[in-house]
Amino acid sequence: MKPADFAFLRDFLRKESGQFIEENKIYLLKSRLEPLARRHSLEGLEALVAQVKARPRDTLARQVVEAMTTNETLFFRDKYPFDALSTVIFPELMQGMSPNGKIRIWSAACSRGQETYSIAMTAIQSVPSAERHIRILGTDIADAVLAYAEEGIYTQMEVQRGMPVKQLVRYFEQHEGTNWRIREELRTMISFRMANLIAADLAVGLRMHGPFDIVFCRNVMIYFDVEDRKKVIDKIAQTMNVGGYLITGTGELVKGEHSQWDTQRFEGRPIWKLKSK
Amino acid sequence: MTQKVLVVDDARVVRISLGRILKKLGFEIIEAENGKEAYEAMNAHPDIALVMLDWNMPVMNGYEFLVAMREQERFSENPRVIMVTTETGMPSMLKALAAGADEYIMKPFDESLVCDKLDIVGIAYNRE
Repeated sequence: MKPADFAFLRDFLRKESGQFIEENKIYLLKSRLEPLARRHSLEGLEALVAQVKARPRDTLARQVVEAMTTNETLFFRDKYPFDALSTVIFPELMQGMSPNGKIRIWSAACSRGQETYSIAMTAIQSVPSAERHIRILGTDIADAVLAYAEEGIYTQMEVQRGMPVKQLVRYFEQHEGTNWRIREELRTMISFRMANLIAADLAVGLRMHGPFDIVFCRNVMIYFDVEDRKKVIDKIAQTMNVGGYLITGTGELVKGEHSQWDTQRFEGRPIWKLKSK
Repeated sequence: MTQKVLVVDDARVVRISLGRILKKLGFEIIEAENGKEAYEAMNAHPDIALVMLDWNMPVMNGYEFLVAMREQERFSENPRVIMVTTETGMPSMLKALAAGADEYIMKPFDESLVCDKLDIVGIAYNRE
């Protein structure tokens, strides 16, 4: 990417969303914005930047901001966390569970809900009587995306990305136009609320939903500096049961930096287990 | 070895755009304009790994082709079949799955969506 294009995007995003993209995160700009450029039949980021420069109030400019601030826009994103749930984590947590026992899960930057619902679909398929045993909380800092998550209505493109058609026909129903809506069966085990991961009273606000056995907090910490990341991880630990699992994005936490946590590897990617609080 | 993909659609523009994506992903492309041509192509190239299959076509539609092909013992599991269609109703999806389709793309599509579906059906491709 040309330095001038990078500088423009960095300043544009800072102004529009408060998000600060450093130079070592150029790969993020590329991975998020190149697909957007393709969708608009633009030849690469240079052409995309030119368009946004020329029409900064246009739909494309808004989509650039959304693409950079919206996380987890895919169902079953990265696949391996959901495989880890069904093959390792759920079986372990279900061992010796009482008839009314609960596995509490927190999807900590749920954005439009795809991650939260993907967890629910995985639970239904791998935990007997999941509706009785599984409780999932989805939180995000942005109200707008939470409303979207709560409605559970997705476009035709959204329900296709990453999701097998067999899941689509089983867990969704057709809604207005070409939209699809998540079935009630999944919604009953989920609640959504606003939460800011860097707020001092985070653990207090979540108390009635926890303590959690599993936390998904993916592709959020990359935006924090080392100190904030440490604080957020400590706060997450406060909301969890010892022995619980934390799933982050690949490379977001560094082994050895966080002494409370053990690393396990699943398909070569780290998942974190809370040793002590 | 380069894997073969059969792209079946009566619209030339779709064959070209889908073919371009798949070529870039490292596949050899064979084209057919309808189910009958597709059936002949399968018998000429029984090693085709994947069929990208439109539904509504003249002469023989995609669904009829799928049923006829899966009836042949040697094609009962392979090739993998991804429907690529404007038929977006749930009943159509269920019907295609019951007939032996592995995945389903509701048009329009782009490269990322095609890659997602290739991942799901377990067909390897060249990642950039």
